[in-house]
Amino acid sequence: MNFVEVSELTKYYPGKTFSKDRILALDKVSFTVGEGEIFGLLGPNGAGKTTLVKILLGIVHPTTGTAGLLGKNLSDVKVKSSVGYLPENHKYPQYLSAGQLLEFYGKLSGMNNTEVKKRSDELLKLVDMEKWKTTKIRKYSKGMMQRVGLAQALINDPKLIFLDEPTDGVDPIGRKHIRDVLIELRNQGKTIFLNSHMLSEIEMICDRVVILNKGSLIKEGNVKDIITTSDLFIFNTSEISDTTMNILLSKYKCMISDRKSFTCKTESLDELNMLIDFLRSEKILIENISKERNTLEKMFINLIEHQN
Amino acid sequence: MNILRTFIIGIFREAIAKKIMLTVFSLFTFLLILIIFAITNEVVDNVITVFEASGQAAYRDAVVAFEAGLISNVPMFLLIVMFIIIVSSFIPSMLREGQIDILLSKPISRPKIVFGHFIAGILLVFFSLVLILGIIWLVVSLKTGIWHFPFLYSIFWMTFIFALLYSTIIFFAFLTKSNIITIIINLFLFFPLTYMLYKYVSWINQGGVSYGGILNILLKFLYYLLPKPWDLSDITDSIVRVSAVNSYMAVYMSILFISVMLAFSVVYFNKKDY
Repeated sequence: MNFVEVSELTKYYPGKTFSKDRILALDKVSFTVGEGEIFGLLGPNGAGKTTLVKILLGIVHPTTGTAGLLGKNLSDVKVKSSVGYLPENHKYPQYLSAGQLLEFYGKLSGMNNTEVKKRSDELLKLVDMEKWKTTKIRKYSKGMMQRVGLAQALINDPKLIFLDEPTDGVDPIGRKHIRDVLIELRNQGKTIFLNSHMLSEIEMICDRVVILNKGSLIKEGNVKDIITTSDLFIFNTSEISDTTMNILLSKYKCMISDRKSFTCKTESLDELNMLIDFLRSEKILIENISKERNTLEKMFINLIEHQN
Repeated sequence: MNILRTFIIGIFREAIAKKIMLTVFSLFTFLLILIIFAITNEVVDNVITVFEASGQAAYRDAVVAFEAGLISNVPMFLLIVMFIIIVSSFIPSMLREGQIDILLSKPISRPKIVFGHFIAGILLVFFSLVLILGIIWLVVSLKTGIWHFPFLYSIFWMTFIFALLYSTIIFFAFLTKSNIITIIINLFLFFPLTYMLYKYVSWINQGGVSYGGILNILLKFLYYLLPKPWDLSDITDSIVRVSAVNSYMAVYMSILFISVMLAFSVVYFNKKDY
């Protein structure tokens, strides 16, 4: 069963008052998210990421298209008892403490007193906020707010969790802590839908990503496939002579960085081995050969720049 | 029921945090001090002695009239205005970006959110009225020795008057997301608009000359269309005085008005993107 199913989803927002123009936020977006996946939704500002998440949670209505969660239609509100959500700019009532906040949202999720109390204690411990349980939220820092927000999203022990910029405003140690919590959740078999600008984090955590730009889906795939599709090899060697350098440039189309390092593109494994044989025949000592890593950030920037 | 209870607790917590309960308790304490002053005041003692001397029935009538005066038009107006100001911020604060998102992501339908807030707001006002009017009644009864129970019905009637106006507060709060605009619209609706319409229709019913023509039709149309808090105040007065109620039309029309306003709120809230 697909935990998230999006089919031909389109959303127009009304334009300025008295204007017939509409603003296209999503354009026929379709994809699925399977059980147990950590799924990343990427895109520049205004790409339609938040609109998409809000449609999936019933906060925004789609113009056309369909979507479903946990195999059920979005109109079935009961499905949300197995869903958790941390919005980007969450504003919790300042007069509540972390304990009261979790109690409030836990009960709205249909939990009883005993369940809420037990789960609150577990979660506050998980996000390292147990000491602050009775302190009012207005006294919390941004990082603490994010951690309490994460606890709020997990209060009903959801199968599917939507997190919109979960590490926004959090210091590096706090970010690492949140990342560890997400990995722990993945180990528990939870499905996580992550919307973040932190591409390095997405790369570290996510199994699969979708990239949106100007409301359209422009790339979808496994993170591992996306970041290792490069066929460029980086060589670190002993010093190369001018003659060898010329051959590398002309025959093997290599890019020379300096006399001890260069990058070559090979079409096949045979071609790579021929190159190695050539270097060895020239008495060049090979210290290291590595496949150039195509980072998610590099790929993302290339895609967006190409589109724009 | 669990969700409704959670909304009620949430509204009460918000009311306590926003010092709303403190305002109610301050008002209550102020009233209590006034009444205690009255109890110990020699002039009041003399007035009571005079009424007691004129016979038990007249004495009882005087006490009932005094109690009815406590919840007549002006005190009723002041109390309701206080409650309008108190509750008008609940919906706009719920609709704040970042807060409404989380609420809508929970397994609760949008109509339940509207009704939950409506009932929670009414209960908040009901308990405040129990406190304020209950203590006033207790002190007056202890002082005069006349235990006039129908006065307590006014708690329910004033809650009903509040519910009538609260349904419009909810609608305009959803529409404008602003508690200031909501307060202004509701205060204008409550006074002077509905008061003038009430006075105009009462005047005609008592044999006064109507404006005639389209203006008369328009005023009467508005009278029947808009809430009738002042007619309900008259009914409350009659019930407290244990006298016959001329017409319950205002009650039926108010129930209809509340239903329509809540239906509009639900339809609007259901369609809205947040």
